[in-house]
Amino acid sequence: MRMWVYVVRRAVLVIPVVIGVMTVMFVLISALPTTARTCSFYHPSGKVSPCTTTIVCPGHPNQLCPNPVYLSAVSALGLNKPIYVQWAIYVGNALSFQWGYVSQGSALGTGETGAGLPSLAGQSVATILSQFLPYTIELALLSLLIILIVSIPLGNLSAVYRNRPVDQASRVMSFSGYALPAFLLGSLFLAAATFAFGGPAAPSKICGGSSTVFLDFFGSWPQPPCQPLYGTTNIGPVGYPAWLITGYISTPTGFPTVDAIVHGQYWLALDTIIRLILPALVIAYTAIAGLLRFVRNSMLEVMNQDFIRTARAKGLPESKVIKKHAGRNSLNVTITVLGLTFAAFITGFPVVEIVFNLWGVGRIYAYSVIGGTSSWDFGVLFGTTLLFTYLVVAANIIVDVLYAYLDPRVRLG
Amino acid sequence: MSVTGSPITRRPSNFRRNLAARWAQYRRTWYFLRRNTLALVGLGILLCFAAAFVYGLYYPASSSVPVQYCATNGVTVQNLTGGNPCYDAPNAICTYPAGSVAPGPNCYQTPVDNPNFIAPTMTLTGGLGAFPFGSLVYPSADLSVDNPQFYNTYDMLVKGTVNSVSISVLIVATGALVGLMLGALSGYYGGWVDEVVMRITDIFLSIPAILLVIAVIIVGKSSGLVTFNSTLFLIGVAFVIVWWPFYARIVRSQSLVVREQRYVEASRASGASNGRIIMRHVVPNSVYPVFVQMSLDVGTIPLLLAAITFIGFVLFPYPLIPEWGSVAAAGAEILTAVFTQCGVKSAVCSVPWWQVLFPGLAIFFFSLSVNFLADGLRDALDPRLRR
Amino acid sequence: MSAAESNPRITLGVDRGTLSPGSTSPAPTPSAPPETRPVVLDVRDLVTYFYTYDGVVRALEGVSFKLRRGETLGLVGETGCGKSVTAFSITRIIPDPPGRVVSGKVLYRGADLLWGLPAEARFRPVKGTNRVKVRRSFRRIKAAQARVGSVRGGGIAMIFQEPTQAMNPIFPVYDQLSEVLLEHRGEQLIDALMGSRPQGPAFRAAAGAVEASVRLNDEAIRSAAKALGEAVNLPSFGTQVFYMARQARAGGGENLAREIEKAASRLRLSRVQRGYLRNERELMTIARELRSVYISEMRRGEHERVNRGRLSARRLRARIRGFPYRIWGIHRRASRPLREEAFWRAVQALEGVSIANPVQVARGYPHELSGGMLQRVMISMALSCDPEILMADEPTTALDVTIQAQILELMNDLRARIGTAILLITHDLAVIAEVADRVAVMYAGQIVEMAPVKSLYTRPLHPYTQGLLASIPRVDQPSKKLESIPGSVPNLIFPPTGCRYHPRCPHAMPVCKEQRPPMTVEAPGHNVACFLYTGPSVVE
Repeated sequence: MRMWVYVVRRAVLVIPVVIGVMTVMFVLISALPTTARTCSFYHPSGKVSPCTTTIVCPGHPNQLCPNPVYLSAVSALGLNKPIYVQWAIYVGNALSFQWGYVSQGSALGTGETGAGLPSLAGQSVATILSQFLPYTIELALLSLLIILIVSIPLGNLSAVYRNRPVDQASRVMSFSGYALPAFLLGSLFLAAATFAFGGPAAPSKICGGSSTVFLDFFGSWPQPPCQPLYGTTNIGPVGYPAWLITGYISTPTGFPTVDAIVHGQYWLALDTIIRLILPALVIAYTAIAGLLRFVRNSMLEVMNQDFIRTARAKGLPESKVIKKHAGRNSLNVTITVLGLTFAAFITGFPVVEIVFNLWGVGRIYAYSVIGGTSSWDFGVLFGTTLLFTYLVVAANIIVDVLYAYLDPRVRLG
Repeated sequence: MSVTGSPITRRPSNFRRNLAARWAQYRRTWYFLRRNTLALVGLGILLCFAAAFVYGLYYPASSSVPVQYCATNGVTVQNLTGGNPCYDAPNAICTYPAGSVAPGPNCYQTPVDNPNFIAPTMTLTGGLGAFPFGSLVYPSADLSVDNPQFYNTYDMLVKGTVNSVSISVLIVATGALVGLMLGALSGYYGGWVDEVVMRITDIFLSIPAILLVIAVIIVGKSSGLVTFNSTLFLIGVAFVIVWWPFYARIVRSQSLVVREQRYVEASRASGASNGRIIMRHVVPNSVYPVFVQMSLDVGTIPLLLAAITFIGFVLFPYPLIPEWGSVAAAGAEILTAVFTQCGVKSAVCSVPWWQVLFPGLAIFFFSLSVNFLADGLRDALDPRLRR
Repeated sequence: MSAAESNPRITLGVDRGTLSPGSTSPAPTPSAPPETRPVVLDVRDLVTYFYTYDGVVRALEGVSFKLRRGETLGLVGETGCGKSVTAFSITRIIPDPPGRVVSGKVLYRGADLLWGLPAEARFRPVKGTNRVKVRRSFRRIKAAQARVGSVRGGGIAMIFQEPTQAMNPIFPVYDQLSEVLLEHRGEQLIDALMGSRPQGPAFRAAAGAVEASVRLNDEAIRSAAKALGEAVNLPSFGTQVFYMARQARAGGGENLAREIEKAASRLRLSRVQRGYLRNERELMTIARELRSVYISEMRRGEHERVNRGRLSARRLRARIRGFPYRIWGIHRRASRPLREEAFWRAVQALEGVSIANPVQVARGYPHELSGGMLQRVMISMALSCDPEILMADEPTTALDVTIQAQILELMNDLRARIGTAILLITHDLAVIAEVADRVAVMYAGQIVEMAPVKSLYTRPLHPYTQGLLASIPRVDQPSKKLESIPGSVPNLIFPPTGCRYHPRCPHAMPVCKEQRPPMTVEAPGHNVACFLYTGPSVVE
């Protein structure tokens, strides 16, 4: 069948999965206590928070009255209606990107994350995530690039030169990557980088300590809280906005690299990418470890097939047999496995972002789960989970489409 | 086996022949495993861990000296010796030489005689000493206990082996069992059962594991369904929920193949019920890839636990329940902040890197050895690569 | 008359009548007695073992035969007797772990294809078991594969058993066909392309003739298109125009002139394209010279490092010079004429094997074609470069009987016109009877009888052959019992001593258990390896 028909079919098949994911989220959310739900998913217009069932009665400081905001939250969210109505409301909200609000009592809400992030209480979760998402996506794209560039040729080589030094080296790399915890790897890389690129920032550039204020979420360049990591770079104009390195939002697209290019600051764009390389390497290392074995095994399988024998019997040079016939065929399996490992890929993001002090979605997620029962932010938690799931699903669709492009047999339907 | 077929020979009984065949299969697998150096290395390391596990079951907590831990954010606890105070764990890390001016508000002098801060004292010739791997200094953020039982990293490593290994094995075994059953049923019956189970696994496989685990545990804790003591149970349930789809997928694809085999058809023709066919034919023949996947997953679970603790979500209130990941993650946050702000050298002098390194290495070697073994097992059991 | 014979334009994809210039296989003279024709392949004492966990599988134990020009030698035997292994050992396509050609000589064009065998591996038996540990020298094996690779395709071609698995599923058919053409006949292709004249009065006249013939029948279109091809000096252009014209006739016919003009414009090469073609041609020349260096290495039995080094240096220089053409955007445009030319030659090759709609087949993928069609495609791939020898490993086993008949007829036909020697491996005695000139019967890795086909069927000498022929049920002699050879195929890890057939032989003698019977000549051209016969030994 034609390519676009296949794409459409594949996209349609995904809808039940997405609804299913939302159902799972809903099941988990509905187990939460009602106050938690009103706190996280309702946006009050006034100053009274919907997080408690009772408040001090106005005018009677010693009495507790029922909280009207809480009651309106309950009715707005449909928490007193049957469960399937609640499900429908939730699915509708999730699909229209209304994922709740940052609750006031959580760590994100009070601004006590200790990392210079101001209080985000009352902001819509989707808005906040969308502001931190581009950085994560840049990181993800860079690590994907590294993964593809390293694992496919290395895997092919390990298969062709089976049990020779290349294979042994790749085996070591794959095992060590698989076994190293991400934070350990990140710490080691960071230590090595700090060691190599110079000592700590000069005293005048140490973090100010007091938190900054977002001037505006859209269209302005907020003040940087800290200077960038491991020393300063000498490329680019002095005093370039360091927020590009530590995150937050940029104009007009939100992707720091793209925006730097749009504004004509090419060195800055290069600088951003260079600072992303080390974290991308850490993420890629773990993913390569898993992928390398698959690439190698699929290449071995392909090389045992009949058509490789035919290609050799035709008199083609061995390099062409391997590159053209074997390589393209094993690419199919590789792409499929890559799609399957996306979900595991995500595990490294929060860790790496914390270690390297990057402001991406993983970092926000981490701040929503630190501490104890009182400092958890459910809106951000479930919103991030949903967001990452969407990413995984989208990645799977792309992988399937790519697979159909590479292998014409699949398009038969 | 004999070469030329003589017409009629006495056949040994079926049972003995099956047993002999299966034994020959094990011998053959062991032969291939033996030829694989890495698998042998992995097996050796795992045996060391097994020894540590047994040791840890009977290992008494070493110290009766209560150790003071610094809590977060300014709540100081009583000093041990009355000398230098503990410093605020998350914020204070820069160091400066004694006598000069503090360069910033968050920098403190290194407490050189803080009794908590003891570097590793192991020497190759001098034996282990009291602090073979250093002292435990940094707690996890959610600590509220002041009579802990562990004083040094060595204790934690030994006791932690028991916890980490048993948690991994239990989680994987339960997840595999659940996944095996569902996968076998789904693959064998086909039709709408298959479709439904496959959609459900799709859903669970789309949600990244770490996020789902944390979400389940958070919901479990907030909803008041579990108390402090059943945290372990909650963690176990969360991981099993996340892990079973992998196994279900594997078993399902295998059972699709097994379903078409002749012996299944023959069984059905001779009147075996569906349940019996599944138990006797489908499940045993689908089990080999599950073994490989199980051994891989046993190595992955400690990593996941460490990652979860690192991002701040406290799983195990160590030091009551020591676990490699929790301990390492507690120190790692400080470590990375120190690297970036104060440089490597002062980090080494002022932060207990040993609290990060040794548990991290324990995770690394455990995972590595399990992976070696799993890889060797996969190569040995794969009929296509057989030489 | 088959389609192949009725179509005067069948050229099997090369710019010549039935022969390629420079090919060393003139058309056979069927009247000449077989023994006087020159030997193209001389296999001597081929020994191949497979080293497995369970022991050493002695697949081939001293196989010797000669293949002469233009003859069809059938290699017949039961499943597992080593027929395919023989063919694979000749061109060293057996998977090297676990297999290994242990010793032997294969002389082709005076070169020993198995030269350098002993240095490639060392054997060490493991005490207490049946296993033997093999230490292989990876480097030497790679070098040996490169050497033998120079002969594959152009000199010795192969077709395999399962045509549905034999082609790469993700590339279209024309791609895989043109690979072979470009590899072995690339220089002639490029010369023809660069020498074409797609303009001038002759061209316009011929184009007009084609347009006029659209209204007539297929034959007229074909001859007009052929004339156009000659006018342009490029026969594949004629093929292209033929199919365009046929489609125009079915669809309307108005745009034909414009389409012919567009097709001709692909032949007008720009400077970039010419440069690319020259660079490619140089690389192909270097490849051909490298192949001949390999052959002379195998002939002389020593390395020619100097020549190879010089060729590698030339190749590197040519690649560097050609680097600008390989940039992706430029590469697409520069290589278009070559790719299109290769496509139409592939279509011509498919015409040569009587495929009715070659353009659709060429554009399609292997999974869209049936087994019979695929086997035709494989045959055309194998024969498109005029190999001297074609080894066909059970080409019709996977096909049903009617298709089998068509394929065999095709092979006969092609053999008659081109004169390739065919080594036909099969277990089907009926196929042998139809196609082969001589037959070699194999049992358990040894050749037990070799004879012209008629003598074998009328007077089988070896007991195994007799058993085989007796087991064929015959319609004209109904009997109640089906004959078969008692016993089963021996285990090649522990083969029987002496003559490997002796456990099943009704005439077994004590000497059969001890010694392996030598090959003796019983009648002209008829050799047997059996102690029942005491003729003179075969002279090597």
